[in-house]
Amino acid sequence: MLAAVGEDLFRAVLQGAPPGTVYALVALGFVLAYKTSGVFNLAFGAQAFVSAVVYFTTHTEWGWPIVPALIVSVFLLAPLLGIALDALIFRHLRASPPVTGLVVAIGLSVALPAIASIVLDFQPKGGATPEGIIPRGANVYYDVWGVYSFSRNELVAMGVAVAATLALAALFRFSAIGLQMRAVVESPRMTELNGINADRVSAAAWALSSLFAGLAGVLIAPRFSILAPGEFFNIVVIAIAAAAVGLLVSLPRAFAGGLGLGIVIALFNTFVPKWSNDLPWLKAIQNNLTPAIPFTVLFAILVFVPAVRRAHRATDPLSGVDPPPSSQLTLADEPRLVWRRRIMGAVALAVCGVIVLTRGDAAWLFLVTQAVVLGIVYLSITVMTGLGGHISLCQGTFAAVGAFTVFQLADRFDLPVLVGVVIGALIAAAVGGLLSIPLLRLNGIWIAIATLAFAYFFDAVMIKFSWVGGSQSAAGGALKVPRPVIGPWDFANDRAFLIFAVIVLALVALAVTVFANSTAGRTLRAVRGSELAAQSIGISPARSRVLAFAVSAAVASTGGALVAIHQESVGYDKNFSPFNALFWLVLVVTMGARTARGAITAAAAFSLFAPLVLNGSILAWILRSPERVPSIFPLESKWMLILFGLGTIQYAKHPEGVLERMRSDAAAKRQRKAERAAPTPSPAGVA
Amino acid sequence: MGVRFQGRPDGRCRQRRLLGLAVGGVFALTACSNSTGSESAETAAPAATAAPATTTAAEPEPAVTEAAPPLTEAASAATEAATAPTEAAPVTEATPAAPEIGEFVPLSGVPGVSDTEIRYAVLSTGPAANALGYCLLECYQAGVQAYFDYYNSLGGVHGRQLVIGRVDDDELGNTQVKILEIVGDDSIFGTLAAPLQYAGFADLGASGMPAYSTFPAAADANGFQNMFLPLGTACGNCPRKLSVATADSLIRVASLGFGVSQASKDCVANAVETFKKWGPAAGVELVYSNDTLAFGLANGLGPEVTAMKDAGVDGVLLCMDQNSALTLEQELERQGIGDDVTVVLPQGYGDTEFFATNADLLEGDILPVVYRPFEADIAGTESEVMKEWLFKAGGLVNDYNIQGWMGAKLAVTGLLAAGPEFDRGSVVAATNTITDYTASGLHQPVDWSRQHNAPTADDPVTNGFVYDCSVYLIVRGGKLELTGDPSKPFVCLEPGVAEWTEPTPMNFA
Repeated sequence: MLAAVGEDLFRAVLQGAPPGTVYALVALGFVLAYKTSGVFNLAFGAQAFVSAVVYFTTHTEWGWPIVPALIVSVFLLAPLLGIALDALIFRHLRASPPVTGLVVAIGLSVALPAIASIVLDFQPKGGATPEGIIPRGANVYYDVWGVYSFSRNELVAMGVAVAATLALAALFRFSAIGLQMRAVVESPRMTELNGINADRVSAAAWALSSLFAGLAGVLIAPRFSILAPGEFFNIVVIAIAAAAVGLLVSLPRAFAGGLGLGIVIALFNTFVPKWSNDLPWLKAIQNNLTPAIPFTVLFAILVFVPAVRRAHRATDPLSGVDPPPSSQLTLADEPRLVWRRRIMGAVALAVCGVIVLTRGDAAWLFLVTQAVVLGIVYLSITVMTGLGGHISLCQGTFAAVGAFTVFQLADRFDLPVLVGVVIGALIAAAVGGLLSIPLLRLNGIWIAIATLAFAYFFDAVMIKFSWVGGSQSAAGGALKVPRPVIGPWDFANDRAFLIFAVIVLALVALAVTVFANSTAGRTLRAVRGSELAAQSIGISPARSRVLAFAVSAAVASTGGALVAIHQESVGYDKNFSPFNALFWLVLVVTMGARTARGAITAAAAFSLFAPLVLNGSILAWILRSPERVPSIFPLESKWMLILFGLGTIQYAKHPEGVLERMRSDAAAKRQRKAERAAPTPSPAGVA
Repeated sequence: MGVRFQGRPDGRCRQRRLLGLAVGGVFALTACSNSTGSESAETAAPAATAAPATTTAAEPEPAVTEAAPPLTEAASAATEAATAPTEAAPVTEATPAAPEIGEFVPLSGVPGVSDTEIRYAVLSTGPAANALGYCLLECYQAGVQAYFDYYNSLGGVHGRQLVIGRVDDDELGNTQVKILEIVGDDSIFGTLAAPLQYAGFADLGASGMPAYSTFPAAADANGFQNMFLPLGTACGNCPRKLSVATADSLIRVASLGFGVSQASKDCVANAVETFKKWGPAAGVELVYSNDTLAFGLANGLGPEVTAMKDAGVDGVLLCMDQNSALTLEQELERQGIGDDVTVVLPQGYGDTEFFATNADLLEGDILPVVYRPFEADIAGTESEVMKEWLFKAGGLVNDYNIQGWMGAKLAVTGLLAAGPEFDRGSVVAATNTITDYTASGLHQPVDWSRQHNAPTADDPVTNGFVYDCSVYLIVRGGKLELTGDPSKPFVCLEPGVAEWTEPTPMNFA
């Protein structure tokens, strides 16, 4: 018996090693990027994908031999990509908070695969398992212990992971360039004062981490039966837990974390199903815990490992030598201008509203209504990020709570949907508040990671419960949600519902604005500005964080519920998946997270940019053409992803958001114009 | 409005070596299909001018007179004997009757119909957003176009050419918007839709427009009388006796599914219930099931295959996509049981490159299909016509070519059944009078008068299929071969019969 268990145990360890190696490679990439650039690089998977695509295209499609394909895809392209990213984007973010880099990385994670696909005319091919970097890598196995065999591809990946761990650890410990890379992350100015070209070191760091991403990409790809960016992103999300084991700084621990994660999952998959036949209570664990292991591990590390709470980013000791950037607020508009702009905006909106309501067909009504209800969801980001200063990657989950609550209450108890909206908001507020409690001592990047873990936990586990996600089988049909009826008003009519949604959006926007200017809102802003200063005047950062999470979750839930009511069903995958929530965040912060206007504009962009611009509708309207002209329209949806990525670059340069930037630019222009117009005093002594 | 996006239906599609259907499609395809067991007559409308459809000749196109009255019981009874599938009737080389093309009558005010054209929309998910990596929009469109080309070569329907008036790529997330656009487009008569997600199908159903879709749409098309799926609306969570027949030569089987997909979990749960119910009588046992796997199988299948190996599994019913099938095959091979375990593949018919490339891994595996494949006797059958025209249109790339053909054929059948003075409502109504539709022998009978509603586990009869059938193909040397009698390729059971019975080879042509 014991021998059998021992053999099972040993086999499970071996079976967990190949996937563990994959997680380890990605975790090493995370740590490498963080150590050398200070960026939590969620675009690692995208970088890996780009090299894998180039390798696959050159080797498999074009028939190049392995070595030249590998040289081009990994040793040339990947470092060049890293250097380009550094020069164009990340070099300019050195003084920015880590969350700025995170947002940019999210944008790149979407844009890079789209660019690669367009440049190489690449489409994922189902069933075409990518080849590895060694001949017959997937078909030749070696069984050393007679228990479980490894393929050539897996052995190469394991060897590279071990070698990389040792080599990179040695690089940082013993080499000058390793030390310089870390120094540049901590204080580029101090580094330069020591005679080191910080830009060059930074470029080398990005070239190195990008090369590693490329290498990991071609090593990981053979594990998939399809070469698609989604597969890489999923691996990246799981591997974050492994990187967290190394606290984003320790390469050996990240390697061990990745390997350990693979092995733990294999152990669960080996023993729990066996034992659950005799122990029925284990069935629930089998069904739910196994997929949740990475996120449970990650969350546990964040909450229970003290070192995470202490892991504040080193502050550049010379960060104060630069003059402070000119405050945009000093260029605030005159009240007369503000009112004029508001009135013009209101008139423009009213005209658009009348046109949509009177001339819009069902499709346009749908799109505009979608923009309105998503605007409510996006306002939750205004509260969380704009006011609270936290990057939350689980706003989609909060929205889903609202949507599922409305569905469940209407479906099971026949409650009016608007009652469901309110109850959903309360539930989401409770969930948000509770979630914030274990995160009270975390900061910056770690809050983002923790919320991402929560979002994926919900995605992997919670929606499987019928009391949460319902049953989406054919028998159950779609998760249908009815439209509300208030007295004599039946909002089954799309136009009526649009008016209703606009009213709700206006009320929520007003509430958020009032909240922002209330005492509670000001405490959030105070904590965001300086936690220490806020504490010194008696503000509790803990209480304000709980408040930010609860209010933000309630707002997101309200929006999510209205999304479901609008679509008359809960489309979780389509609307609320964690990946969608990443999109939302980036859009809102790009437009401007501090104002309701930014959130609403972001929602409008999300819903209407593609149909108006990419489909050519605006140009066709301008040219008065019944057809979409010129014939290049509609543009491929990948362009939307690329523009999205470029938007994050804009955010990197102007973290206050596009709208605030435009406003302050206009104010500055007016100011300069006024200065030029003012009479210049004659210099003394000149006649 | 002109055609906005034509796609690349043939060449590029072929290059794209698709694997198989989406997970949902796979499960819906293999979903339960219980039924009454009654045998009603096939024909769209009374066969006033119809060539007699017998099993000794290819079924003619639905014969329609100028003003085809609805199918009556008497007419149904009259044709029943001639059209009911039989076990023994051999397929001969009989020349099929010339298909009916109807008669031109000027119409006005019918959306999408002019004096020269009848225009349809094709909606699907294009390659940019189709992360599963198989040909979907282009293949489905090519299948539709092939049938339209075929019928237009005969002169069209009611004196009008069949035209794909617009092609919409829903980009995965915009299905509902696209459906609303189509519904509001007066230049479109009907819709053929094969998206990956089915948001907005309620709008399509509510529009009353004739709409033809694919197997996985069952949940969203359920109850709409104007929405036609290839075999009717199937049950997603019913035990399926045919699964036991699929495991005919097997003794100890397993079923694997994804934890994140309700359809996948339903599929595994159905397998468990099915083998519990009928397995003992058939001599086959389900000894391992797992519906908790992570989509994409990032963790591999090492422990799962070890468990199956320990349980002595000799066959696996997959409730996963075909990309995952390859992962499973590799792990079976690694653990030394690749040759001992037969995998029932989820889909992939037509993807010759996939089977050729992975010949060693897939050797001996089973691929069930629900239509008469080209590997059966097809001389004089609908399959022969389909093969000819699909290959004229660029070739068979995958199952979606065939589903496109099937949807277009049913659309034409409905037009002919409605008669020359047709509109959307009359086409839907006339189609729903067809009680024994087999697409000229291409698939098992469908009773459109009652199969818009999914049957349930409690009541598999009222809305269920007459016969639940599959055609089984086996992978040999990187190619597909038919198992069983080429003249009677369908292996059928009567789901309405509660107890286990041996399946019967059948032929509907």
